[in-house]
Amino acid sequence: MLISLKWLNRLLEPGDLSADDVERALTHAGFPVEGREELSGADVRLDVEITSNRGDCISHIGLAREVAAATGRRLKLPEIPFDITLGPGAGDAAEDATSVDNQTPEVCPRFTARVIRNVKVGPSPKWLVEALEAVGQRSINNVVDASNYVLFELGNPTHTFDMKTLAEQRLIVRYAKKDEPLVTLEGKKHALRTDELVVADAERAVSLAGVIGGLDSAVTEKTTDILLEAATWDPATIRRAARRLRIITDAGHRFERVVSPRTVDFAAARVAAIILETGGGEMLAGAIAAGPELTPPPVVSMRAARCTGLLGIELSIDEMANHLEALGVACEVDAATESVRCETPDHRTNDLRREVDLIEEVARVHGYEKIPVREKIEVAVAPPQESERAQREIGSLLAGLGFYETVTFSFVTAEQAASCAPPGMRTIKVDEERRKGAPYLRPSVWPSLLECRRVNQDAGVRIEEGVRLFEFGAGFLEKDAKGRDTVETRWLAMIMDAPDRQEGLRRMRGVIETLVRTAGGAARNVEVTPRAERRPIDDPDASADIAVDGRRIGVMSLVAPAAMKVYELDAPVVAAELDADALLAMYPPKSSAAPLPAFPGIERDLSIIVDEQTPWAKVANTVEQERPEKMTGLTFVGVYRGKQVGAGKKSVTLRLRFLDPERTLRHEEVDPQMQRVVKALGEKLGAELRA
Amino acid sequence: MAELLDDLNSLERDGLDALADASDAEGLESWRIAYLGAKGRLKQAMGSLGAVPREQKPAVGKRLNEVKQSLEAAFEGRKSELGGSGPAKRLGPAIDLTEPGLAPPVGRRHVITRVRDELYDVFGRMGFEVATGPELEDDEHNFLKLNIPEEHPARDPIDNFYVDDPATTERPRMLRSQTSTVQIRVMETRRPPLKVIAPGRVYRPDTVDATHSFMFHQIEGLFVDRNVTMVDLKTTLFQFARAYFGEEAEIRLVPSYFPFTEPSAEFYMKIRLRPDQPARWIELGGCGMVDPAVFEAVGYDPEEWTGFAFGFGIERIAMGKYSIPDIRMLFENDVRFLSQL
Repeated sequence: MLISLKWLNRLLEPGDLSADDVERALTHAGFPVEGREELSGADVRLDVEITSNRGDCISHIGLAREVAAATGRRLKLPEIPFDITLGPGAGDAAEDATSVDNQTPEVCPRFTARVIRNVKVGPSPKWLVEALEAVGQRSINNVVDASNYVLFELGNPTHTFDMKTLAEQRLIVRYAKKDEPLVTLEGKKHALRTDELVVADAERAVSLAGVIGGLDSAVTEKTTDILLEAATWDPATIRRAARRLRIITDAGHRFERVVSPRTVDFAAARVAAIILETGGGEMLAGAIAAGPELTPPPVVSMRAARCTGLLGIELSIDEMANHLEALGVACEVDAATESVRCETPDHRTNDLRREVDLIEEVARVHGYEKIPVREKIEVAVAPPQESERAQREIGSLLAGLGFYETVTFSFVTAEQAASCAPPGMRTIKVDEERRKGAPYLRPSVWPSLLECRRVNQDAGVRIEEGVRLFEFGAGFLEKDAKGRDTVETRWLAMIMDAPDRQEGLRRMRGVIETLVRTAGGAARNVEVTPRAERRPIDDPDASADIAVDGRRIGVMSLVAPAAMKVYELDAPVVAAELDADALLAMYPPKSSAAPLPAFPGIERDLSIIVDEQTPWAKVANTVEQERPEKMTGLTFVGVYRGKQVGAGKKSVTLRLRFLDPERTLRHEEVDPQMQRVVKALGEKLGAELRA
Repeated sequence: MAELLDDLNSLERDGLDALADASDAEGLESWRIAYLGAKGRLKQAMGSLGAVPREQKPAVGKRLNEVKQSLEAAFEGRKSELGGSGPAKRLGPAIDLTEPGLAPPVGRRHVITRVRDELYDVFGRMGFEVATGPELEDDEHNFLKLNIPEEHPARDPIDNFYVDDPATTERPRMLRSQTSTVQIRVMETRRPPLKVIAPGRVYRPDTVDATHSFMFHQIEGLFVDRNVTMVDLKTTLFQFARAYFGEEAEIRLVPSYFPFTEPSAEFYMKIRLRPDQPARWIELGGCGMVDPAVFEAVGYDPEEWTGFAFGFGIERIAMGKYSIPDIRMLFENDVRFLSQL
């Protein structure tokens, strides 16, 4: 809100504050000054930020009140030379000249009309023009300017109609008819909706209530008789219409932030007084008010102990009352109950309704800067949070394994979302208008990581071991049925380059095993099972469920060639995704130390030739089922394919470890075990020993 | 006999003198061959021991031994003085110590995560624990229970990512626009006292520029107990500022408005974001005493419990601390950028 320093000083006694003084006072009160501009005539224009709860401060009087409270000055209200409801004289009665039918009192708590006849509409006097220019407004004519001036002075929007243009010279407050036309002041024709409020004459809408007037009822140079509307409206109704029709006006801005019904008459009288002063004419006696009776201002009791208890500073009950009085709250201290009875001033009836509202005002006037800070703090020591330690350890481990952590947006395109939604689940999207192109919430973090991979490919990033990325991020899906069964999973997602697809999968599996053992301890068992349920992003030949000790916690796949093409990636990528909460919940690892072997063991390598289709798991199972005596370990060494092995065959090398914890093993003891293994492999898998 | 002992003495003297003259590995090696070698002077002297009369043998032998040890010790000493064991003993080709290091292939945790952890480190010491909540929320947790009623301008669909149309759906789902939702989630399920922080992603359809993004990270703090006051709020923020930004940090609260706190304030901190910059005031976030309406919405008695809440952006701190000029860089994830920080 733009204010003029001169104007502000006119409302203060003494009115001698500099721009610095005002800025200091307003900042202290919670109204930061965002800009300052020197104007001619020793005036300064300040741009003041006003929080949305303080509609009363979108005006010079409102800010003057705050400055007065902060600087110990007196607020000087503008003087009106007549009774604000009766008017200046005893001419014809307004109610004989016009009438108002308020059909929507629930959204129009106060509507008043005053009539001034034989006004001379013309240029405004210099003081009025200058005042408006100081706040960036252009002068139009004395009548419109009077209304505008009061808007900036008191924060009350008012509207002046050319009375002779009104059919039957009366007003109706009602909802618009369906598609009811209205040409507004800026010359634009609008078709209104039935939830939008209008002020109408006997025939048609003449203004969009609280937002903007109609063109053909506006005051012009030819106008002589004026109907002055001063009202207040339901903020939400005003906002809805202004938003839909995209009409931003100073009036709408203020009504959206609440104009108290109790301030309406004073503002109307102030406009009338300026019109009479600048354009002459006769004001008809009395004012027409349509709507519910004015409710008395709220009375709230504030307990001194509660105030002290919330703020933590010791103030006497009189100090509390003085702070509130400075803002215009009428206070009565009740010593018996140690409380202050507070009557809310007219301009604050909306936001000073509860005890805590008053406590805030006490704190604000007292000054937040006077709230002390302590050098020490009282703490009940809690154990370290395992989930935090786990997440940090897992993240650091991944970094150590060459992974860069990414933070990517949760939004993806429709295709990306569909590519990683499992069968039977639906993807979710936000309002498409808000996120054009990518309104879907990602079911998986993979699309985002693949996009990052491409960003790095385009940037020419070269890392010898390949680019490795990970992210902790949520995935969103809903169950098919009702669409309201939202499933939000926090994933730990990873991708790695896999120029050799088999090796890439083994590396990713190795990473997963390391993560699981780091989080859950060395005894955890990671199982990898080929998946039946496939998504378009999974390579049909290379997608597996990951389970830990029988519980499924994630997926590992080569990215399907078609998907690779979508992301324009040059080399194969292996991706994995683990339920982060399940992984981190394993932490801390459950481990205990076991004695190290005191005697040397024996290792034996075995190369066998089997069919290409024979998976390693089968080889390993066959050996393990044989339960060779004293065997303590079986590891995969490698696979060889080539001429010597033959087409459709592969040579698999495995390593067996034997150990006796009590003594040194002899080779002769191991030999028969090896023979049993070879025999079993031969019988069950048709394996031959490789020469 | 005296003659023989004299010979040994001069052998020792000559040897030590010659050794002192040897100035490189080559000279050292020639000396070794000349004195200690298979045909060297020491061996020759040993050979002449046979000619010594039997009764003199112990004395001469003893002296011979002394000379041998003396020369050998001197040789080893000189060798280590000259350094190395000489070209003959080199294990491979020449070493170039100026060749660059071979870095192990390590990655990096994202700067947002690390700043988040740094914040937890400080708040954790003050007794706060991390709480989490869903990112896909509903308007009840994002607005209603935070005292942001129907028709409040903050709920406008233009300013939020709704999944369901708020005009036609009861409890429409939406991406949370603030981590304050976690306050409600925690209070719905637990009883005071509570001391939690909730770091996480939030979503608002802002126009993207160097300092705005439609997704960013906030950290929310909530403390509810008996007799919690605004002094506790200001003290907590001050203690955080001093612990995280350094001894000279200052804090200032300025009145403001949030529907879920009253009194409400913006908090400013006078801090050095980087050690090479002077301390300056920056507006960091919002805070205040939990509004009684929020306590009532979660079934806490506001007469029994009081509390404070605060919230601020994580990107702001990360960008200041690491001189990141554009928020978009944080979300592009170019490894060349990630590896800098």
